[in-house]
Amino acid sequence: MSFTITCPICGKRNIYEFRFGGEDRGPRPFKNEANPEEWYDYIHARSNPAGVQPEMWFHRDGCGVWFAIERDTTTNQEVEKEGGDS
Amino acid sequence: MGAKIKKMWADAPLKKSYEAVIIGGGVHGLAAAYFLARDHGLTDVAVIERRYIGFGGSGRNTTIVRANQRSKQNVPLYDEGLKLWPVLIKELDYNLMFFNSGNLNLAHSEGGLNGMRLAVSTAQFMNVGSQLLTPKECKELVPLLDISDRPTWPVQGGMYHPPGGTLRHDAVVWGLAKGAYARGVHIHQGLEAKAIKLEDGKVAGVETDRGFISTPRVLNAAGGYSPQVSAMVGIKLPIHVITLQAMVSEPLKPFLNTLFSSGEYHVYANQSLRGEIVTGAHMDPWPTYTTDSSAYFIKHQAEALVQLMPALKGTKFMRLWAGLTDMTPDMAPILDGNDHVPGYYMDCGWGYFGFKSGPISGRYMAKFMVDGEPPDMLKPFTLRRYENNRFLGEIATPVYYGPWN
Repeated sequence: MSFTITCPICGKRNIYEFRFGGEDRGPRPFKNEANPEEWYDYIHARSNPAGVQPEMWFHRDGCGVWFAIERDTTTNQEVEKEGGDS
Repeated sequence: MGAKIKKMWADAPLKKSYEAVIIGGGVHGLAAAYFLARDHGLTDVAVIERRYIGFGGSGRNTTIVRANQRSKQNVPLYDEGLKLWPVLIKELDYNLMFFNSGNLNLAHSEGGLNGMRLAVSTAQFMNVGSQLLTPKECKELVPLLDISDRPTWPVQGGMYHPPGGTLRHDAVVWGLAKGAYARGVHIHQGLEAKAIKLEDGKVAGVETDRGFISTPRVLNAAGGYSPQVSAMVGIKLPIHVITLQAMVSEPLKPFLNTLFSSGEYHVYANQSLRGEIVTGAHMDPWPTYTTDSSAYFIKHQAEALVQLMPALKGTKFMRLWAGLTDMTPDMAPILDGNDHVPGYYMDCGWGYFGFKSGPISGRYMAKFMVDGEPPDMLKPFTLRRYENNRFLGEIATPVYYGPWN
């Protein structure tokens, strides 16, 4: 099931150069005052979509950058970004 | 010859309502249905399965059963599960091909050995057979094991668990389906659950692709797809779904009686009753619903096996496959229900331990679904343990101390 991930600095590279950094759910939704349910939701709860998921990756065996991409979990194909901006 | 084939189960008409609906026709779902009927007389039960029974993890695991876990909450459940197999074989009148091979875990570092000391102490305290072995004793059990200092990480010792073994996983699925069907349970294959309908916050029924089924109880036993079933009632689970890959070699003459594994090399292997070396363990750590295998896995597995057992050099692999695992943060399952949503029960988060625990968790979940209150055995496995920060200490097993993590 080998596939590629596009690093914003190094370009398309083999998946095994990267470390998966979890579902990308944006910035932390609260400061330090949160009840246990909110902490649970932030730290552990996952949506596990069978489809396109925004996620974080780390180029471990490369340039060391953290970045976000979208990947389809049913095909392991990255979603191409339109226009290449962002 | 010419004898009429007797079907072990048959298609049943889809009724408009059932006393209980179980989503997922694997070992866990079928076991829950079987014990609902056997122990509680609740036979008005439907098991609904999107593909065919045993399509998912129940037919893709590597059939190992054992009870040498680490935490005091897990060990009694697995131990009871291990003792249930011989009972089931008689009761179902079905040969599950239990092979009591014993289970040898290898350590390659002081950290690994310390992890084993913890696990062995727990097991002995719980009266589960488990002991530490020297490398020489390991070699007596597995004669082809290389205990010299030639491998990158030489064998420093082992943890031997004599009650462990293997079964035939398809037979477990078929046997339970046979037993459940004989007691009146309806098994609906090729039927997909689309939504769970709630009324006044309680479970009212399941919407399927062949119409609505009304029911007061739903059990989520969907394995890799359990987060999506759970999302139907708005519960987000602390699960990430990743694949576990496994493969078998060409058949060889019998030379390996004991199942052996190494956390540090991340490999396990045993010889099936057909002579094939069944081996696996590689997990790619990103979520995916594909069940593809990877070249990386084949290379890793070949390297690890040849390091531990040089005689396997040149052996050909025949088949490889992958299955979905629903991993939780503390490597322990979620057995909960009737709490967040009345009438909704969960038997999921089993990760890669689901097969060995199938019938026993089915039995406890059946009791749970009838009483509405969790039996004592299942109380530690509540979903709320994550928000209360009461993790089960399963992750402290030697498997997680290795150069690869």
